[in-house]
Amino acid sequence: MGEHAETGLEKWLLDKTGKDIYFWNFQILMFFTLFEVGAVFFEVIPGTDIRITRYMVWAILIVVGIIKGYGIAAYFMHLRGDPRIYTRTALFPVLFVLLMMWGIGLSNPEAITELPAWCTPDWDYATNR
Amino acid sequence: MMSGFNNHVDNSVWGRAVLMAGAILTIGIVAFAALGLGVGSVKHDEYMEAKGEYKDALKDTSLTESELYKIHHHEIDAHLSYLTYWVAGVTILAISGIYAIFLGVGGFFNSIQPQEDHGHDDHHDDHHDEHHGSASPIVFCTGVLLFLMGFPDFVEGMRALLSQGGTFAPGDMVLSTIGLTIIMIGVANWWREDLPFIGHGEQIATSAPFEGEHIRKAGLWVFIMSEVMVFATFFSSYLRIRTEWCTKWAFDEGRCGVGMTEGDIVMTASDYLRPGGAAGTGDFWTMLPGAVNTFALIVSSYTIVLALKTAKDKDWEAPKGALKFLLPDKKTAVRNYLIATLALGSMFIVLKLVEWSHLVAEGFTVGTVQGSIFFVATGAHGLHVFVGLLIMLYLVFKADTVGYDEENGQGIEYFGLYWHFVDLAWVVIFPAFYLY
Repeated sequence: MGEHAETGLEKWLLDKTGKDIYFWNFQILMFFTLFEVGAVFFEVIPGTDIRITRYMVWAILIVVGIIKGYGIAAYFMHLRGDPRIYTRTALFPVLFVLLMMWGIGLSNPEAITELPAWCTPDWDYATNR
Repeated sequence: MMSGFNNHVDNSVWGRAVLMAGAILTIGIVAFAALGLGVGSVKHDEYMEAKGEYKDALKDTSLTESELYKIHHHEIDAHLSYLTYWVAGVTILAISGIYAIFLGVGGFFNSIQPQEDHGHDDHHDDHHDEHHGSASPIVFCTGVLLFLMGFPDFVEGMRALLSQGGTFAPGDMVLSTIGLTIIMIGVANWWREDLPFIGHGEQIATSAPFEGEHIRKAGLWVFIMSEVMVFATFFSSYLRIRTEWCTKWAFDEGRCGVGMTEGDIVMTASDYLRPGGAAGTGDFWTMLPGAVNTFALIVSSYTIVLALKTAKDKDWEAPKGALKFLLPDKKTAVRNYLIATLALGSMFIVLKLVEWSHLVAEGFTVGTVQGSIFFVATGAHGLHVFVGLLIMLYLVFKADTVGYDEENGQGIEYFGLYWHFVDLAWVVIFPAFYLY
């Protein structure tokens, strides 16, 4: 969220449309949110007979989440354009978060059956304590 | 009285905060009267009528099952409709009351402080040597510590006061009340230190890795990263217990254990909210508050960007057309963008509590594991939004009095980072808890 000179894509957008990167980022975030809600709201793709399966919903939610997360962090929080140290600071907890997701979130010994093996590490302490 | 963008802030300017508090409280009372007492009481009568009809229908043996279902459905609709208006009215009143206390007490506290002599401030260059550091956050954190230490007793005391059970003991409230008082003093003092700040004296880091960067900005990023860890604990806990549940989807896919029947299916919040969810209660209207809230946070992220952009723009010009009325000059434009952000954030809290009341009415309570993780995770996020709104109140006040420009606009920038983070957390929470 700082101020910096527009370069590359940002400058091109500003020159071509008269609107800055924040405006377009906002539009993209709104569009993808609509897409996200629509994916859950509809059971079939509108105008077709194609059923939106749970796996398709997962894929949409994850991909849209990544796009929205990038849009907010890179442009609204201004990691693109600010000194690299801020990006490095922002990425610092990622390793811990991933460890928590895998080591805690996906390692439930009582989890529903047939999850992939990597989701349920065979940790003795978890099953025999 | 200060003039324009210099740093002479007379005590009398704080009186404006008390006036703003009065205006906010008035809006809250009017909204409560209209929604809670006006529409709410009509809806309550309709609900009571529908409830009576359903009671009678249960005794009527001539009714078919589908007729009974219709009457029951009508009763549920009437109940939820009543809850919508009542909870919205009460929430707006409560939020505006807290805003008014926060702004009013802070304003009053500062307006009665001994007036400082600003005679030497005529030479602006003097301020290059002053720093913008403050001990107020430490005072504030001490207050939070005491408040949280006394919080369990405080809840018991409040329950007794509101006749929700238990016996009231004044001692229950002491520690938290001391904590709240210290928080208020810390915040009010913090405001007093920041209000005259016009951008000179921002502390710069002198060593690696943030050398040359504003210390406040670096500190805020480190704080945000600690918040990432907090939300990661919620999310990983949710994942861990979610993988254990035999949800409708897992049951349909044959992924539940041997011998599990449909009666063993665990209902998640999304089963109640999502169209086609297993609870059978989800439709467009149950999905709406969460979806509107998602859009509200994104729009509020954009309005705060616009506030900063306007503040930093040296060549800002008022827009032409209808917007000229809302954004007549730079100072008003910044303030109005911040008010828009405040309004959108407040709407988020109101809709969230309306949605919670519907979930509880339908049986999805905090007393279950799935309810517990849902209410704790989304509640923690809601608390972050609310804390942000309290900070934004001050930003609106400063924008209305001293004003923000290209020199001191970083105040909006640093708060904006926190606000965008709250939006970012919702990007993960919304699909995980509401859609999946």
